[in-house]
Amino acid sequence: MKPLLQVSNLTTHFDTQDGIVKAVEGVSYDVNVGETIALVGESGCGKTVSALSIVRLIAEPPGKIVSGEVFFEGADLLKLSQDEIRKVRGAKISMIFQEPLTSLNPVLTIGRQLSEGLEYHKQLSSQDAEREAINLLKMVGIPHPETRIHDYPHQFSGGMRQRVMIAIAIACKPPLVIADEPTTAVDVTIQAQLLELIKGISREYNTALILITHNLGVVARYAHRVFVMYAGKIVEYGTALEVYHRPLHPYTAGLLASVPRLDEPRKTRLLPIKDQPPDLIALPPGCAFYARCDHANDGCGSKKPVLMEVAKGHFSACWVAQKGLKPWQKKSS
Amino acid sequence: MAVASQSIAVPVRAHHTLWGDAIVRLRRNKLAMAGLAFIILLSVVAILAPLLTPYGFADQNYNDILQGPSWKHLLGTDQLGRDTFARLIYGARTSLSVGIFTQFIVLCIGLPLGAIAGYAGGRTDNFIMRFVDVMYAFPDLLLVILLSSVFYGTKFGGSIYMLFLAIGLVAWVNISRLVRGQILSLKTRDFVSAARAMGGMGRYITWRHLLPNALGPVIVSVTFNIPRAIFTEAALSYIGIGVKPPTPSWGAMIQDGFNLIFAKPYMLLFPAIALALLMLSFTFLGDGLRDALDPKLRR
Repeated sequence: MKPLLQVSNLTTHFDTQDGIVKAVEGVSYDVNVGETIALVGESGCGKTVSALSIVRLIAEPPGKIVSGEVFFEGADLLKLSQDEIRKVRGAKISMIFQEPLTSLNPVLTIGRQLSEGLEYHKQLSSQDAEREAINLLKMVGIPHPETRIHDYPHQFSGGMRQRVMIAIAIACKPPLVIADEPTTAVDVTIQAQLLELIKGISREYNTALILITHNLGVVARYAHRVFVMYAGKIVEYGTALEVYHRPLHPYTAGLLASVPRLDEPRKTRLLPIKDQPPDLIALPPGCAFYARCDHANDGCGSKKPVLMEVAKGHFSACWVAQKGLKPWQKKSS
Repeated sequence: MAVASQSIAVPVRAHHTLWGDAIVRLRRNKLAMAGLAFIILLSVVAILAPLLTPYGFADQNYNDILQGPSWKHLLGTDQLGRDTFARLIYGARTSLSVGIFTQFIVLCIGLPLGAIAGYAGGRTDNFIMRFVDVMYAFPDLLLVILLSSVFYGTKFGGSIYMLFLAIGLVAWVNISRLVRGQILSLKTRDFVSAARAMGGMGRYITWRHLLPNALGPVIVSVTFNIPRAIFTEAALSYIGIGVKPPTPSWGAMIQDGFNLIFAKPYMLLFPAIALALLMLSFTFLGDGLRDALDPKLRR
């Protein structure tokens, strides 16, 4: 089956005063129809930039998509004209942003913000769009949608606002939704509800989902496949269960060890990954994770690893894993 | 404590909109409301002027020149025997229309240019803003003199419309700078990228999402600019290049009074008081609006 979205060799740079920041460096992934994939990594590893690059929402300048191809429904999104890409945004690929507090326009009513996409992409009349907006609000679980569409964003709580954002994102029933850390800004009790909501909608409409997150717990539960990013590159990918239970990259193992888990004895210490991620302006010559890696050997610092299939359907860009060794797995089990 | 009992008492949440909130806060401001009341009163008086006085603004009566206030002539008469009260309320028409229509011109030019400069950025921004700088450096007095000499002898020359145009053409630069600044800071906000992610066009986003957010400061600035325009008109009429007599203008009346300041001081006094009150009213209203529309002062 042909994937819905195929990103290959995507490279996005930012031209800053200090030099060129290589935010995304040759990233490739694909999403099948109705599939949920997760992009995982710590802050500043290029997750968001790689997703924004798909719909070309990178601010130019200073950002620039240097190379790569993004095939979606038979067309390379990076080669479309401004008018054509606008017809894709919102209608075919929509986004759920991290901050529901600032992603809604404070001076427009919720109903207005919901229906403008419908009016623009689906050419609905304003009455039809309003009716549809009420339906959407009902779908995302907002009580009294008939009166609430006349309210302004500040009259909604954070969780409710994120529900509105979700409603806006699915308004035109796009085949692909990019959720950029959709639950980071809301508290834990709401997080699960929101994720269930997003997941339910994606199942109902067969919507593919790119879930950008740093929460590995979320990944294991909701994603089919996981792509772990580090310093602008994908360092490991495979099915969610594979990556979660048998990580093939020390970075993934480190991420897993640094998250509290309920299924471990209470006294187990959390193991943070030491040091900071490398400077994206001057990347080290070898493996980007070399300086922080407990399992590195001499070759790691000089030669860049490439993604190779280590187990079936499970790829890793780690010299150690590619030799068949996985010292980090022994430690965690 | 009063505060505690109050917080228990109100379980029902009122339906507040942004503008609803602003109006509530504006109504608490006594000075602003007084200003607004005076402006409304003066507007009504200006509109109903023919009903309020038996005299026309140009009616001359050489039997009654330079009269003091009396029941026949409420505020006295000038050196041509014209009723000062009649001229004052007809003059309010001039002042108010100058204040309002210049701001209309200002908004028509300043708002779109500022918005385009702010959203487009880059070369467009640079080009528009350098043009604004040139206009800013241009003294309005000079432009009015220029316009009146260009249109000298035609019907347009010396008319009130020429004044609208002259004052409006100079005053729009402030608004365009203000709007540009607002748009520049607003366009980096998340809801703008959200709107772009939904497929919104630059023009649409500017009009629909950015301008409504910038409206508060624009309203305040317009309110502050009205008295400035009124004063400019008065000043131009004072030096004799404003509206052509006999059309009454408070500035021209002050000039007439100034010539007789020691003999008949009230001739200067009444138009001067009227002008001062009107300018103060707009300034207080502007102050009140600024406080009311400032979200940081929301209680």
